[in-house]
Amino acid sequence: MALPRLSRSFTGLLVETSCLIHQRTFSVSTVAAAIQKLTRVRVVDNSSLGNTPYHRSPRVIHVYTKNGIGKVGDKVLLAIKGQKKKALIIGHKMPGECMTPRFDSNNVVLIEDNGNPTGTRIKVPIPTQLRKMEGDYSKVLAIASSFV
Amino acid sequence: MRVKIMNVLCRSRKLLSSVVRSNVLVEQTQVLGSWLSKARCYRLCQNLPQHFAASLASCQHRHHGASFSCHFHTKRCYSERNEDRNSASTGVFEEESHEINDTSFLSQSPLETFSLDVLVSLLRQENAVDLCVIKIPEHIKYAEYFIVVSGVSPRHLRAMALYAIKVYKYLKKDGDPNVKIEGKDAEDWMCIDFGNMVVHFMMPETREVYELEKLWTLRGYDEQLRSMPDETLPEDFMFDVETTNVCCCVCSCVRWRMCSSRLMIVDV
Repeated sequence: MALPRLSRSFTGLLVETSCLIHQRTFSVSTVAAAIQKLTRVRVVDNSSLGNTPYHRSPRVIHVYTKNGIGKVGDKVLLAIKGQKKKALIIGHKMPGECMTPRFDSNNVVLIEDNGNPTGTRIKVPIPTQLRKMEGDYSKVLAIASSFV
Repeated sequence: MRVKIMNVLCRSRKLLSSVVRSNVLVEQTQVLGSWLSKARCYRLCQNLPQHFAASLASCQHRHHGASFSCHFHTKRCYSERNEDRNSASTGVFEEESHEINDTSFLSQSPLETFSLDVLVSLLRQENAVDLCVIKIPEHIKYAEYFIVVSGVSPRHLRAMALYAIKVYKYLKKDGDPNVKIEGKDAEDWMCIDFGNMVVHFMMPETREVYELEKLWTLRGYDEQLRSMPDETLPEDFMFDVETTNVCCCVCSCVRWRMCSSRLMIVDV
């Protein structure tokens, strides 16, 4: 007795779900990739702001690009230790172009408002494609210790 | 005429004494092309033996007389490892010598390209403080030469950078890319990347903070790098924790949707 009712409800259920999906009552957006707002990032230079522990990891609160997606070489605004700080994306987990390195963590270097890096050394390898990109990357390349 | 030469000699001595104080031992007179005044060339030619013979015993330097026919015989020496500005330089070696005639001076065949010689000489001409040229080893595929210069004031740095750009534009061929000054709005640190050379114009205080010469000569053994603590993974680290979380979220989502649809049916 219960079985046909159950099966009926199940078929109805399936029909209902398919109708729901067809109507699409939820919004759809394109797949965001690399670094966007509220991604947790890893600060890789030796600045005190980036290395002192805090109960919240540094998060991106704004990406300075036309679309809100940050790739290697883009400036972002981070929230670290309750303060806002600009940073430069050095590497991300998303695979990029052919023959560019992909990192296991979203690496970021803190930067002042005038473009000077906050830290003085970077241990993590830096991609060499930064040199060919348009932007002020020579300072970050100058304090880097290894290149990929 | 004699008074003029004397004045020129006095000014040049000051320039050369500041040059000798800095750690880079670059001797050249061939660089100043016809677009610089000829008087400067002759003055350098005359003053070289006194200063450099006194300070450098290892560098050989021969100099044809102070005649105005301008036969120069130069050897270029620069130290590869400039550890510290004040420490003695080690590992000085000599480059091959050039002999330039008066005629070739005017046709400036070795001077047409914007090379290291041109850049260093123009920085010297601009009274750059503490010029440091480091040759980057081959396995680091960044550039060939790494130059750090200090200036007296931010305005001085900007003037030096703009002059370097101007000279580069004058000497570049059609195929060479344009070069821009990076860090224009930072008044204490500016860079220019000339392809095979990178120049950094910094204030002395900024230079003390970053210590770029130490990093680029001592590469892995730099003090600041060594004092950075090694990053180790925490003991409870699991690389695929995030993926399992995602799966759970998906399941719960589907269940919720199924529940809601069932409610719909019941209502109907």
